[in-house]
Amino acid sequence: MKLPTCLSIAVASLCSIQMLSAQQLSIAGKITNAEGEPIIGASIFVKGTQQGTSSNESGLFTLNAPSNGTLLIRAVGYAPHEVLINGKTNLSIQLQNDDSEIDEVVVTALGIQRSEKSLGYGAQSVNSATLNANKQPNLVNALQGKIAGATISSTGGAPGQGANIQIRGINSIDPSRPSQPLFVIDGIMMDNSTSTQGGTAEVRGMSNRAVDINPDDIETINILKGGAATALYGLRGANGVVVITTKSGKAGTLKIDYQGTVGVENVNKFPKMQDTYSQGWQGVYNKDDFWPAFGPTVAEAIKLDPTHPSSLYKPFEEAFDSGNQFRNSLSFSGGSEKFSFLTSVSQLKHNGVLPATDFKNYQGRLNTNFTLSEKLKGGSSIAVTNSGGYRGNANRYAEQLIYWSPRHNIRDYVLENGTMNSYGETDNPIYVAHTNRFKDDVLRVIGGFDLTYSPAKWVDFMYRIGVDAYRDNREATAIGYQGLADERIVYDNGVEGADGRGFYNVYNNNFRALTSTFIATFKHDFTEDFNATLRVGQDIYDRNIKRTSTEGGDLTVYNWFDLGNANILKAATYNEKYRLVGYFGELNLAYKDYLFLTVTGRNDITSTLSKNNRSFFYPSATLSYVFSDQFQMPEAITFGKLRLSYAQIGKDAAPYSTSAGFAPYTNLPTGYIGFTRPSLLGDPQLKPEFTNTYEAGLELKFLQSRIGLDLNFYNSVSKDQIIQVPVSSTTGFVTASINAGSMRNRGLEVTLNTVPVKKDDFSWNSDVNFSFNRNKVLEIREDLDDEIVVSSEYGYLNSTVSMRIRPGESYGTLYGRTYKRYYTPDEIAQGLDVTREYDESRPLLIGSNGFPVLESTNVPKKLGNVQPNWIAGWNNTFNYKGLSLNILFDARVGQYRYNQLGNFMAAFGEADYTTNRNDYMTFDGVLADGSKNTKEVWLGQGKDPKNNVDYGNGYYRNYYRGNSQFFVEDASWLRLRSVSLGYSLPQAWLENKFVKNARISVIGNNLALWTKYSGYDPENSTTASGSNIEGFAGMTYPAVRSFLFSLNVGF
Amino acid sequence: MKKFIKIGKISLLALTLFSMNSCKDYFDLTDNPNLVQTPPLNALLTTSTHKAAFNNYRIAYFNNQYSQYFASPSPGSDTDTYQITNNSTTWNNLFYALADLYDYMVKSEEAAAYHHLAVAQALTAYELALVADTWGSVPYSKAFGKEATLNVPYDSEEDVYKAQVDLLNKALENFKRTDGSQTLSEKDDLLNGGKIDKWIKFTNGLKARVLNKISKKSSYNAKQVIAAAQASLESNAEDVGMVTFDGVNPWASISRSNLQNNLDGWLGSNFINQLNGETYGIVDPRVSKITEKTVHGVYVGTVSGQGNVGAANTVRDECYISFNSPVTSDASPLTILTYAEVKFIEAEAAFRDNNKALAYTAFLAGVKASMDKLTVPAADAAKYITAISVGQANLTLLDIFREKYVVTYTNAEAWNDVRRFDYKYKDFKLPLGAVLGGKFIRRVAYPSEEITENGSNVPAEVPLSTELWWDKP
Repeated sequence: MKLPTCLSIAVASLCSIQMLSAQQLSIAGKITNAEGEPIIGASIFVKGTQQGTSSNESGLFTLNAPSNGTLLIRAVGYAPHEVLINGKTNLSIQLQNDDSEIDEVVVTALGIQRSEKSLGYGAQSVNSATLNANKQPNLVNALQGKIAGATISSTGGAPGQGANIQIRGINSIDPSRPSQPLFVIDGIMMDNSTSTQGGTAEVRGMSNRAVDINPDDIETINILKGGAATALYGLRGANGVVVITTKSGKAGTLKIDYQGTVGVENVNKFPKMQDTYSQGWQGVYNKDDFWPAFGPTVAEAIKLDPTHPSSLYKPFEEAFDSGNQFRNSLSFSGGSEKFSFLTSVSQLKHNGVLPATDFKNYQGRLNTNFTLSEKLKGGSSIAVTNSGGYRGNANRYAEQLIYWSPRHNIRDYVLENGTMNSYGETDNPIYVAHTNRFKDDVLRVIGGFDLTYSPAKWVDFMYRIGVDAYRDNREATAIGYQGLADERIVYDNGVEGADGRGFYNVYNNNFRALTSTFIATFKHDFTEDFNATLRVGQDIYDRNIKRTSTEGGDLTVYNWFDLGNANILKAATYNEKYRLVGYFGELNLAYKDYLFLTVTGRNDITSTLSKNNRSFFYPSATLSYVFSDQFQMPEAITFGKLRLSYAQIGKDAAPYSTSAGFAPYTNLPTGYIGFTRPSLLGDPQLKPEFTNTYEAGLELKFLQSRIGLDLNFYNSVSKDQIIQVPVSSTTGFVTASINAGSMRNRGLEVTLNTVPVKKDDFSWNSDVNFSFNRNKVLEIREDLDDEIVVSSEYGYLNSTVSMRIRPGESYGTLYGRTYKRYYTPDEIAQGLDVTREYDESRPLLIGSNGFPVLESTNVPKKLGNVQPNWIAGWNNTFNYKGLSLNILFDARVGQYRYNQLGNFMAAFGEADYTTNRNDYMTFDGVLADGSKNTKEVWLGQGKDPKNNVDYGNGYYRNYYRGNSQFFVEDASWLRLRSVSLGYSLPQAWLENKFVKNARISVIGNNLALWTKYSGYDPENSTTASGSNIEGFAGMTYPAVRSFLFSLNVGF
Repeated sequence: MKKFIKIGKISLLALTLFSMNSCKDYFDLTDNPNLVQTPPLNALLTTSTHKAAFNNYRIAYFNNQYSQYFASPSPGSDTDTYQITNNSTTWNNLFYALADLYDYMVKSEEAAAYHHLAVAQALTAYELALVADTWGSVPYSKAFGKEATLNVPYDSEEDVYKAQVDLLNKALENFKRTDGSQTLSEKDDLLNGGKIDKWIKFTNGLKARVLNKISKKSSYNAKQVIAAAQASLESNAEDVGMVTFDGVNPWASISRSNLQNNLDGWLGSNFINQLNGETYGIVDPRVSKITEKTVHGVYVGTVSGQGNVGAANTVRDECYISFNSPVTSDASPLTILTYAEVKFIEAEAAFRDNNKALAYTAFLAGVKASMDKLTVPAADAAKYITAISVGQANLTLLDIFREKYVVTYTNAEAWNDVRRFDYKYKDFKLPLGAVLGGKFIRRVAYPSEEITENGSNVPAEVPLSTELWWDKP
């Protein structure tokens, strides 16, 4: 970022010696940004001369200039600004942000800084202000709506809960291989996996490890999307790369910054429940019944039971608390020309809306930059994090909320003796949440050191070594049965063979990854118009993972969590080593500063493939053509650039995909050892898979960059994908590693940045991101019978919904059970009724009993796809003097989700639409003989009052809940992601004060949601972050709407 | 140009410098440290014996519903009413066990450990029977990686049957060998405590079962069945079961969960009515040792397909699996084969062989053994035995199957007998709402996971009332 500024300063200072002057004034001034923060290193010139200087760490400058002159101020990232001196000697100058800065320097692969102009691929970056506008503690969430082509979802609203990020859709057919991009922080590869180690961790919303980064420490995030952008990262960057650059100290005065945020939050969306029918079965009231809502009406129930409340409780709404969060961060930075530093500490405490859930995070960072000599420069960074908290089992909570009858007060969950208060055979979810707990505690260090040696102007050598190491300690606890009077056994609080007798499980995960990068750069100008840069280097990634788990069940002392107190013990260990070395080269050729060609090549050697296949090479080529610099453009066009690229990227297998052997058989009690086949069938012959990507882009700026348009089209095909495919158990294995299948992703990304209003003290910036991705599975290996079932989630009456991969379809098509449609005998003979297509244009088939007919379970029908048709974000910033207002909209359209919660709500008579349960109706459809159905039926349970016909368990239990189609819902949404209003105290108030700048803001997140989806917020998923399985949004941790107040003070 | 040569030199030097650690071994990490390459045979013995017992339980868990020992508390239960159900997990468990047994066979043969080989063969025969008797045609000769394919072809039912007989005969030969390299460890053998004579008796019992299974075929050889049965278990003490649990016996666990309102393990009315005297007019004293009286002080079963009747389903006004029963208590073994069952096999074969004297002796011995096993007081047992002592001339197949029905409670084998006997127990009713057009169920539909993952080989769907190969002449 600093390169052009430094050059201009150098030029300026050289020229200032020859300065001539008539009536010179000594001018002092301060340069600040829109937030009132000082701008460091801005260049200030006297217009029309070479006379100039630059601002210091406090934004201050002094300069001699003619009294009638004009000052021209430039700073990277800000619009150029002119000020008439008019005899003034003290100036306060505010620069406006300028995202359209044309020749910005961006951080590309492996930390290489290149001018944006020369890039032949699209790169999008987010600066600190945009990133932190809505104060999200998880940096992945902080990117939501701000990046074209990135699908980012919270898996739920729990404190610290994992968030998913996918760039340009799903890249692998293999559901078990994350399609998450690589995260790189200050050149160090950073783990962003979501560990689901430990019992129920899978459904407890564990964090993606990017939560360990304090978003306030981040200066910029660059998103490298396609193959060309990530080619130098090699196979680890095959899903895109998120390049994070943290803040660094600036030479000059010391600076202290404090940021404090407090907030409250509530569940943003509940499913709609009926409030007419009370507890019981077949209309018969029983206040201890298992059935929560198949009883009589509330009015009838009150007559039978005087203790019945006058109206039903609302268990869903009452079971969630209001959450809150407190966050403080403090940074201290400064330094000299030779050495600068930034150190920061931060703390977060977040209490969730689901009882007994929280998340804490403590972080510390030290970044330094040093210049030992003209030839030797370097830097270091180290960040330490301690994070974790109590994770709730939201999945089980939602299920138990369904079972809980709204006739009872869910808040009255504990007896005086401390055991569960409940009714009948039902468990109180709040009691279970308080007693069945899971906690993680992560201690992590990410540190790195880099050194650049430049023996001559045309050559430099850079070496960087980094480490990312953490230990993740987890504990699952549940108190056991005590045998007190009135005590109920809590089934969840036990293990197999010792129901409700408590447990204490301990899990430990040790992770260590080393990144070593060496790059040699050579520059040469062949002629004035033609120059070249060559980079060669080597890159090592070395990772060790070691996990242990000890699970102790059946506690003798019911509440003493000690492994010595457990009667049943299970222990397991897991070790994994992974190594990858890449050799790479990159040649940049530039002609006349408007035509740029880059070719790269990389050879990877991986430890996960066998000797013959482990070394593989792949190339890329990109072209950037700034045609606006070659030709005179019409007045309206400020800038125009065309980008073209081709890239190939190889990819290796997951560790031990080629191995064989015997695994421990873990179902035996302590004292017995057995071995069994491992679940994975390894294939020693696995080859690397390759993805070929073609990309074309066009970048245009109009009207002095008031309008900027960026279009990017890509087409990528992955071949020989390495998949761990589920196989028939008759092979003796669960999954097999194979090279199978190819998949295509093509799509368009559009960003439109406009400045509709730009006045002296008012401006409006509007940035729109729009993208769509079309995915197609081109083929899967023939012997897989053209279908891979990736995942499924239970539904009553075999309405289980599965996500399947089939050639010709997009990844992630949801299949389920439907009602039968009418087909003629001829069509049935042709087998048209047993295809996978669900033809809704046909009439419903009605059985002779007058009800629709459920399809055979062998004929699952296609009901929707989980991938959105398009996604968009619209970010608006309004600035008026010290006030700034930021409004962010976020949309995702055309995606489907299975709502398991809805399936259960139908099955238990709790959904609002089940109030018609005692109606008569005639289903619209035809009988098997093709004639129109005219038979009137009753939807209720038992015998109908009119004709005394026995309808058994009723329509909702016999038919409705078995039709997956009702629960695979359009989960499109538009949301007001955030609104933040900030006010910076005017600089004039703070002149010579201890406080240099101050800003207060109020932020609202997730303020409005427009969706047809009937469950909780459809952005969430029941699978952990990092999973490619996103089709299931039923029993999730509900999303929250939060209101935050934030204070930022600089000293 | 010189400059570029220099560049080249420098970069080569640099690369060499940084590639120092990338010597060959650095990447040799394909051996999975979490897997062991040569497990001890006794550890494979542990796995195999544990899985065999649990797989009997897993199959029995649903096929005891077809035999109507159990009935679901929910009306119209899929299993009760013969609808297509998805038994993927059970299918998978069986095939993983068979794959382990195949590896066990290969490893023990390599090591010339013939007793281990014999165990592997006997248990392969047993678990192959469990799958074949449930689903019919199944993959075997090309399964478990015997052939390198992910889509494993199926063997015909007859071939799978022949394979069982063949495996059992081979096992018996191998048990007799004394030149083996390794012995069975007492502790690691969870079924027979490392005792070869017990294994031989057990294998003969399995053989008797298999040979008796084709009672409808013309190739049925009653004398061979009798010979195998007589070489099998000789007392209740020799019953073959497994008692190594985490926690408690899974049937006891069901019983306990049911009492904590996790409803399961409800006993069927056909079974209870036989025991409480309603069907045959004689109260079977074993009833009090199998289950407990309801809150109303009587024994009541649940009608298959009807679900809970009477008071709310948490009111204990019907009978369930009981953790107080000697066969389903916390510490009861998961039994694969009992002496009593062997006696009934002998009785049936002798009956079919027209050797009524032998049939009658074995029949009475079987009932007596069952009474003892269930710790029925001697007087009560004697009273019942007297009541059913019809004399050898009057002995019928119904007598044998009726008494054997009580013995095979919670055993997967029961459904084979029920089908061989064509459900012809007295007053044995179709489940309420059964969907097979008035017919009893004869097979189970292939699980959906297998259809998805190996669809091209899975045999075409037939009505579940279609008899298996051995179930028809």
